Amino acid sequence: MSQLPLAFSLEAFTDFAFWSSVLVLAGIYALVALGLQLNVGFTGIVNFGQAGFMAVGGYSMAILVLKAGFSFWLALPTAILITMAFGVLVGLPSLRLRADYFAIATLATAEVVRLFAQNARGLTEGNKGLYCDFSGGGSVCYDDAWRSVSDSIIGFLDNFWSDPDALAPLLLAVWATVLIATVGLGYVQRTPWGRVLRAVREDEDAARALGKNTLLYKLQSLAISAALGALAGFFLALFLATVTPRDYEPLVTFFAYGVLILGGLASYRGVAIGAILLWALLEGTRFVELPISEEKTAALRFFIVGLALILLMAFRPQGMFGKREEMVLGD
Amino acid sequence: MATESLNGKALLDVDGVVKRFGGIRAVDGASFEVGEGSITALIGPNGAGKTTLFNVMTGFYRGNRGSVRLAGEEVLHLPAFAIARRGMVRTFQITKALAAMPVIDNMMLAAPDQPGERFRNLVFRAGAVRRREREVREQALELLEVFNLADRADHYAGTLSGGQRKLLELARALMARPRLLLLDEPMAGINPTLGRRLLDHMQRLRREEAMTFLFIEHDMEVVMNHSDRVIVMAEGRVIADGEPHQVRRDPAVIDAYLGGSV
Amino acid sequence: MEASTARAEISPGERLSELARDHPAAVAFGVIALMVLALIAAKGLHDVAQTGLNGLTLGTIYALGAVGLTLVYGILRLVNFAHGDFLTFGAYMAYLVNVTWDLPLVAGIFFAMAATALLGLFFERIMWRPMRAQGSGFLQLILMSIGLAFVIRSAIQWFWGTEIRSLDVDILSTVSFLGLRIGQTELIVIIVGIAVLLAVGVMLRFSLLGKQMRALADDLDLAETAGIDTRRVILYTWLFAGALAGLAGVLFGELANLTPELGFELLLPIFAAVILGGIGNPFGALTAGLVLGMVIEWSTLVVEPRWKVTFGFIALIIALVIRPQGIFGRAKAI
Repeated sequence: MSQLPLAFSLEAFTDFAFWSSVLVLAGIYALVALGLQLNVGFTGIVNFGQAGFMAVGGYSMAILVLKAGFSFWLALPTAILITMAFGVLVGLPSLRLRADYFAIATLATAEVVRLFAQNARGLTEGNKGLYCDFSGGGSVCYDDAWRSVSDSIIGFLDNFWSDPDALAPLLLAVWATVLIATVGLGYVQRTPWGRVLRAVREDEDAARALGKNTLLYKLQSLAISAALGALAGFFLALFLATVTPRDYEPLVTFFAYGVLILGGLASYRGVAIGAILLWALLEGTRFVELPISEEKTAALRFFIVGLALILLMAFRPQGMFGKREEMVLGD
Repeated sequence: MATESLNGKALLDVDGVVKRFGGIRAVDGASFEVGEGSITALIGPNGAGKTTLFNVMTGFYRGNRGSVRLAGEEVLHLPAFAIARRGMVRTFQITKALAAMPVIDNMMLAAPDQPGERFRNLVFRAGAVRRREREVREQALELLEVFNLADRADHYAGTLSGGQRKLLELARALMARPRLLLLDEPMAGINPTLGRRLLDHMQRLRREEAMTFLFIEHDMEVVMNHSDRVIVMAEGRVIADGEPHQVRRDPAVIDAYLGGSV
Repeated sequence: MEASTARAEISPGERLSELARDHPAAVAFGVIALMVLALIAAKGLHDVAQTGLNGLTLGTIYALGAVGLTLVYGILRLVNFAHGDFLTFGAYMAYLVNVTWDLPLVAGIFFAMAATALLGLFFERIMWRPMRAQGSGFLQLILMSIGLAFVIRSAIQWFWGTEIRSLDVDILSTVSFLGLRIGQTELIVIIVGIAVLLAVGVMLRFSLLGKQMRALADDLDLAETAGIDTRRVILYTWLFAGALAGLAGVLFGELANLTPELGFELLLPIFAAVILGGIGNPFGALTAGLVLGMVIEWSTLVVEPRWKVTFGFIALIIALVIRPQGIFGRAKAI
């Protein structure tokens, strides 16, 4: 019996399988938060609907493959396009609203999507969720095509490391996407297009007075963010091997904001680091064997995230890598 | 920068503009014309509706009734950005220098015809985007030189003083190559030397490029000595419209200022 | 020189929409009245009245939550995401008194109201006031309110776990009148809720504090320049909002089970009531809450019951798009 009130489980600490799943989740949240960064950090639109975009992306893919017979590889870009169209549809009436009204409108929209997924049982199987379709005699699961690719990647990696983790291909795919998205967004930010976005962020009237169609730019920002959300939802569907409404609750959006704030506003690079940090914090505390129940540990983790959000906002609102001068979302 | 001929029509033709807020008519039938290449002052006591009229003219408020024609084209119900693109650019009473962006970015933002502002061009016309960026940057730096702000080009606009920000807003508006520039109290908060520089520049632009100016102002010295025409508003209407010395003697105008001398 | 007064023609369509914009409450009630009449024609008066009565139970809870939230809006300048968790807190406080300490529910209600009022006061002192003093921006505040929501909810989860609990109430007895039937507890909820709402309404309308609170909720800066002791009124507003939220939570706890998510589930409909009623307008929030509860319940006559919550959110989105300042709000610059 250790004299410390806490006991560390060192062995578990170095379990690669565990950390690879943490990293996959972190990567998925990084994608979501990159979209938020574009919206909040660089366009000034406070989008609380990312969980909804994730749901549209994940469910579209699953429905296209399982119910419409799409190939997996076609379903992905189609799902992204569907989500972007949905984003534009949501944005058209709501982007002219004030920041807090827009936040609520997007939150309500995301909830409508989730509730729709929960109740439109014919299409989405409700709370049961979608994964495989057994109706045709055999079983078709939406990630069949991905599994075979994943297996070949593992076979390939086996040449370099013995017994590579089953999640390695997904890990690579997610983080490659995060990398491409980060670089792409960073580049686009330094262009004239990005300049208009920053102007819209700070003072939309000034931008309009200079001839910029600000609604168009906000729509584009939202559409790109929706695409990133769709990608995140897509990867989540692969990771969990199921799409259920519970995976797209508002909590997901709130956590993504946690990532955003930790990494810092107006910094794309910070997002990836914020994501890893948040999830390492959340999941790493599993190893600290506190003399309390599972339930209480979960509550404690929540509490820490909430407290971290409060303290960050009070004392370091720009997060780790954000720039204080670019924080313009004040009234 | 006079483009197509106006055939003798005024550059700006405001006719019977009405703007209500609930039961109050902030602008109650305002009408006047502004000729190309002129410098016109819009004056009046507080609450006369001058800034509201500016807002309606430039699409920031939706006018209830009336007509605003820019170079013959009706613009009353166009969105603000479309009106700015057609050459009627305005500045704001409380300056809107974009503090979280560097000064040079403020300037480059305003330049018209930037292919780089369309997302599709970033991908398909990267070369043209880069070329225009270079051009715009040069023009921006030249203009900043004129206003003595070139050495602050890379600083965040938030670090400028109040007077400098006003100049930046003017310089930025000029970057947009407007036909008609609407200035809302350009002299407020600027020291006289800077102010004179501003006015000299306005005169030069009018001479060399036939740029037209309409400005709201309270500083009577500026109004009397630097404008070709003065329009006086009170209670939402135009009550006088003519040359400065005429207007100053108009009894209706003196009345509107409650017996104070103009 | 004369100013010419050429006037453009206004079409009858324009005139109608101007009228609609100037009298939104009349339009809204007209639309709802038409809807109700259509429903009566389709489903009969009894069904409409019964569902209306059912809707009134949830409606009073929405109204209680919304009035507090809208008053606080004026102070925070944003809709407080943590408000839902105030409701949860109230419910669990009542549980503490009613079940754990085995005291009558009435004691639980008073305790819950007092405890939640103090909770609101506490966070005003340690969080909101310093942030206001700092001049914090909108994004900071909204994220802080989310963080606070997490903190309160997780604290409740720590102490009471996620298992479903219930208050010690009679869920079986029903009462009949006028051919309508309603659960005894539901009826109590309606009576208590409406009584409190009436008292609140009177207080807000006629008392000095009430007027000051309304002025504050409408425009904090203006209230300050008008010489109102804003610090004091802010504190009272929080006490008030907390108490109402606590009551709403307890009443909801009487109808449904207690889980840590209780408040958050109610949050969006309460937001809807706040917005529909015009942000900062407590009478609007009150009315909108009641009407929203009834409208959501009436929708079950037309769509399957499991869709009714979705319906509520869609109504919120439509309202935001058509008239973000709410039915009773003034058309301030959006």
